[in-house]
Amino acid sequence: MKLIAIIQITFRESFAKKTFMAFFGISTIVCLLFIFALNLDIVDGVKSSVSLFGHETQNLLDIKKVLIGIESGVAVLLFTGGLFMSLFATSGLIPSFLQMGTVELWLSKPLSRWQILLGRYLGAVAIVAFNVFYLVIFSWLILSLKTGIWHWGFLLSAVMIVITYAILFALMTFLGIVTRSAAFSLMITYAILFFSPLLLERDKIYALLSGKFYGILLDGLYYILPKTTELGNLTRLLVHGSEIQSWMSLWSSMIFGFSIFIISSIIFSKKNF
Amino acid sequence: MYAIETSNLTKYYAKGKVTALEDLNLQVPIGQIFGLLGPNGAGKTTLMKILLSICFPTRGGGKIFNRNITDYRSREKLGYLAENHRFPEFLNAQQILFYYGKMAGNPKSVLQSKIPELLKLVKLENWGKVKIRKFSKGMLQRLGIAQVLINDPDLLLLDEPTDGIDPVGRREVRDILINLRDRGKTIFLNSHLLSEVERVSDEIAILKEGRLIQKGGIQDFLSIKDKYHFHLKDGKEDITTICKTMKIELKEQNGAYLVSVNDDQQLNHLIDTLRGKQVMIKAVIPYKITLEDFFIEVIKENNN
Repeated sequence: MKLIAIIQITFRESFAKKTFMAFFGISTIVCLLFIFALNLDIVDGVKSSVSLFGHETQNLLDIKKVLIGIESGVAVLLFTGGLFMSLFATSGLIPSFLQMGTVELWLSKPLSRWQILLGRYLGAVAIVAFNVFYLVIFSWLILSLKTGIWHWGFLLSAVMIVITYAILFALMTFLGIVTRSAAFSLMITYAILFFSPLLLERDKIYALLSGKFYGILLDGLYYILPKTTELGNLTRLLVHGSEIQSWMSLWSSMIFGFSIFIISSIIFSKKNF
Repeated sequence: MYAIETSNLTKYYAKGKVTALEDLNLQVPIGQIFGLLGPNGAGKTTLMKILLSICFPTRGGGKIFNRNITDYRSREKLGYLAENHRFPEFLNAQQILFYYGKMAGNPKSVLQSKIPELLKLVKLENWGKVKIRKFSKGMLQRLGIAQVLINDPDLLLLDEPTDGIDPVGRREVRDILINLRDRGKTIFLNSHLLSEVERVSDEIAILKEGRLIQKGGIQDFLSIKDKYHFHLKDGKEDITTICKTMKIELKEQNGAYLVSVNDDQQLNHLIDTLRGKQVMIKAVIPYKITLEDFFIEVIKENNN
């Protein structure tokens, strides 16, 4: 119950920020767009044609293609813009509660420090999950109801996006505890987010560098850091319903997130305020 | 068992260059208001923070109701008001008490009845639904006191509780503290307002540069043995003559006469002699120094 109180207060704090209100507003607009932009022509109780954003098709296969295309678009938008906005909006959550005058009140409660940190972390993940699932579930429902095609892969994209956010926020938690700076932790997290495609293409970078050291360094960074580009690709493949060749990028990124959170908890437990 | 007990509690900052606390051994009895005094940088706030595990000692340790301070369950029956505390500004007073109460382990049903009671106690009953960003410093301090009481604590650690509160409010806070003490609660009070501490405390401890330099019952420190203020209607000449004859030291002070007698027998003899001369005695009051005087004296002594 004590942990839930921390999650709730963090959720409220995040929701009080305008970024999440904007996120929520955009999600609602997208859902409304689907409600009004998707037109069905039904003859004798059977769908004879579907019109999406003015493009009309009568072929059921085409309808499915268009549907998956729209869902992929939403998933990619959420994975890039949604993650970007979410990280920005929650970057202050750890430094803000570490401020003098606030942290003392939290630490004086009968909770262990790792519980407090976990509550704060889960609160941030909860607000992002709320926004992502709100958009994905409602747009999925509207699209499925209107087309009659129930494509489950799209729902998995929400899970992937929340997991990716949780991994990156674990890193922000670590940086927030060490530096107490929202701007710094956000900068580093964005850097890792954008550095990910470069690490994926590290074979091409080797050619430009001399010495084995750089190769080992880039390989090390690739395997240690979250593989956001590949997680994005995984999300796209899940929406398409394609076969996944390797889950390595997911589990190795999750190990990173888990480890960095444990390290953050240890540092936080020993910190003097 | 003590409410608070520390043993050789030591805290250094800046890799040992700054001493915040040095071998502090302190016992705070249950059911008392205990005032913690000291000049700036004496280690008062550090002591409170260590008791709450907000920061950790360099060596030594402490117990709260016999439970080690490193155990977070030692804070189950404890309320803390931090100096310059900050509540989340996006919440209103009711929500703050609700969430902080839940964090302290209170069930929702208890909080629903407790929150209006506490808001009434701190005179914020009409402000429950107002976002606290609209609150004045004094109102935030009152809310802080309500937050301290949300889990019905047995021990209250209050760091400057009357900071920013007007004189009427200070009196109300004082009454709350005395009432809590009378209900068996222990209050560990850190305040720069010595007159407030003097009015409510049973015991005090004075810290200087992290060391305990004085501890004991406040009345023992402030009462001066065999010194009395005599308030007379008239009879200035009589008391002067009588004191001279009896070799009693006499000083005129704020319209009263401060006499230093040897013992109770001499005091009674003085009263009898004055009454024998038909001098009207309005009051005989044991002489007390103020806590401020005592504090400054102790600090000066320690400097020397």
